[in-house]
Amino acid sequence: MAYREKQAWLTLIPMLIAYGIYFPMSLATPRAPLENLLLFGIIAVTQGIVFLTGMVILAARTDVASRKPDERDRAIARRGANIGYYLLMTGMIIVGVIMPFTKSGWEISNAALFAIVLAETVSTVIILISYRRGWNG
Amino acid sequence: MAKLPFANDIKTLRFMAAEMTQGDLGDKVGVTRQTIAAIEQGKYSPSLEVAFRIAHVFGKPLEEVFHWQGS
Repeated sequence: MAYREKQAWLTLIPMLIAYGIYFPMSLATPRAPLENLLLFGIIAVTQGIVFLTGMVILAARTDVASRKPDERDRAIARRGANIGYYLLMTGMIIVGVIMPFTKSGWEISNAALFAIVLAETVSTVIILISYRRGWNG
Repeated sequence: MAKLPFANDIKTLRFMAAEMTQGDLGDKVGVTRQTIAAIEQGKYSPSLEVAFRIAHVFGKPLEEVFHWQGS
């Protein structure tokens, strides 16, 4: 498995677990803004620590030459980022332009967070599919 | 994934070049072993530069390494 593919798995799995916990918890029980911020902080920091620890272990187990992206890695990354970008833009338009007329507070914050997580998830899944099934640019 | 309109003989050429590994070929042309494997399997269409570099490693013209099969 290519180093960049392992990186993509390392991005995807902790993110899905973290926000698979955060969103149900945040939506199930109404919380004070500060409590919700604390919940988000704990989840985000934990995800960050797991990701960074995994990256350090992965880097230590891979030689320097293999860590450098080649043209295929760059082409696949561009494909994922391109699709993720349009999703993120759509999400941000909904959150920033439409939602302020009908919603407020944490509903908008959570919707923005969801748009970011969704865009990153789709982008990473596209990258993983491209590595697994092939990508001819 | 759409099938590439060309095939290649990289695997055979590696075998004939003292059983060169995918990793060795990757090092020579500046890509990873996984990318050489993807090119061999028709899962990735290399840039013209990498295609020329592969041909150069084997001392062959490009058309002896990659064969057009499209219409």
